[in-house]
Amino acid sequence: MDEPTIVVTRLVDAPRELVWQAWTEPRHIAQWWGPNGFTNTIHAMEVKPGGVWRFIMHGPDGTDWPNKIVYREVVRPERLVYDHSGEGANDPHRFHVTVTFTDKNGMTEIVMASLFPSLAARDAVLKFGALEGGGQTLDRLADYLPTI
Amino acid sequence: MPTDRLSATFSALADPTRRAILARLVLGETSVSELAEPFDMSLPAVSKHLKVLEHAGLISRSREAQWRPCRIEPEALIGVDSWLEDYRRLWNERFDRLEDYLKKLQAKGKKRGRKK
Repeated sequence: MDEPTIVVTRLVDAPRELVWQAWTEPRHIAQWWGPNGFTNTIHAMEVKPGGVWRFIMHGPDGTDWPNKIVYREVVRPERLVYDHSGEGANDPHRFHVTVTFTDKNGMTEIVMASLFPSLAARDAVLKFGALEGGGQTLDRLADYLPTI
Repeated sequence: MPTDRLSATFSALADPTRRAILARLVLGETSVSELAEPFDMSLPAVSKHLKVLEHAGLISRSREAQWRPCRIEPEALIGVDSWLEDYRRLWNERFDRLEDYLKKLQAKGKKRGRKK
C-alpha cells in the first residue's frame, strides 16, 4: 500500500458470512455501530456499488450526527470499499475506507484501512513528530507505524 | 481543538507545496524570500500559502523583525495526532461491540438449532 492509511484489525470468533451480514444489514449494524452511548437511526442502506447508506447517530447528549456512506466496491463476503462523510459534499473529514474479511479456520479476520481526509496529514504528522523527537507525539505515533 | 480549526489544518496540509514549506521550517525560522527560493514561485504565491498555514495555526510570523520570519507551530500537528488516536479508539470500541453482538447472534442460532 503506497498511500498513507490507518489500519485497524480484529479477529472475531464468527464465520465470515455472519460477519458480512452484521456489516451489511440494517437490523444488525444498528446493534453495534455505536459509538459507545450512541444509538443509530438508519434511513437507507443499499449495499451495492454506488449504493448509499444514510444514517443518523444520536449522541448521549442529544446531538444528532448525520452520516453518509457511499459504497464503491461490494464483494460478498470478502470486501467492502466505501466513502464515509458527514452531510456536506466537501466534508474535510471524509474517509475512503476498505474493509476486508478473511476466513481463518472458521474465524474471521477484519482489516479496516482508512485513507485520510487529506492523505498528507498523517505523513506530515509522522514526519514532524519524528523530528520533534522523543515527545508524546512520537510515542503515540509508534502505534501507527507498524500498520503502514 | 475545535473541529473547524482541525479542518483548516487538514486542508492546509493537503497541499504539497505547503508541506514542503513546513519541512523547511522544521529546520529553523526563515524569511519569505528564502522560502520562495527552492519553489520557483513568486513571492505573492508563497505569501498566499503562508497565509493558509498561518490561518491553520501551523506557522506563525514574527512582527518584531522587519523581515517577519516564519516559524513552525507544532501544537497544530499535535491536534491532528490526537484526532487520529480518537479515530483508532472509536474503531477498537466498535469492534468490541461487534464481537459481543456476533456472540449473541451465534448463541441464538444454536438455541434455534436445538429446538429443531
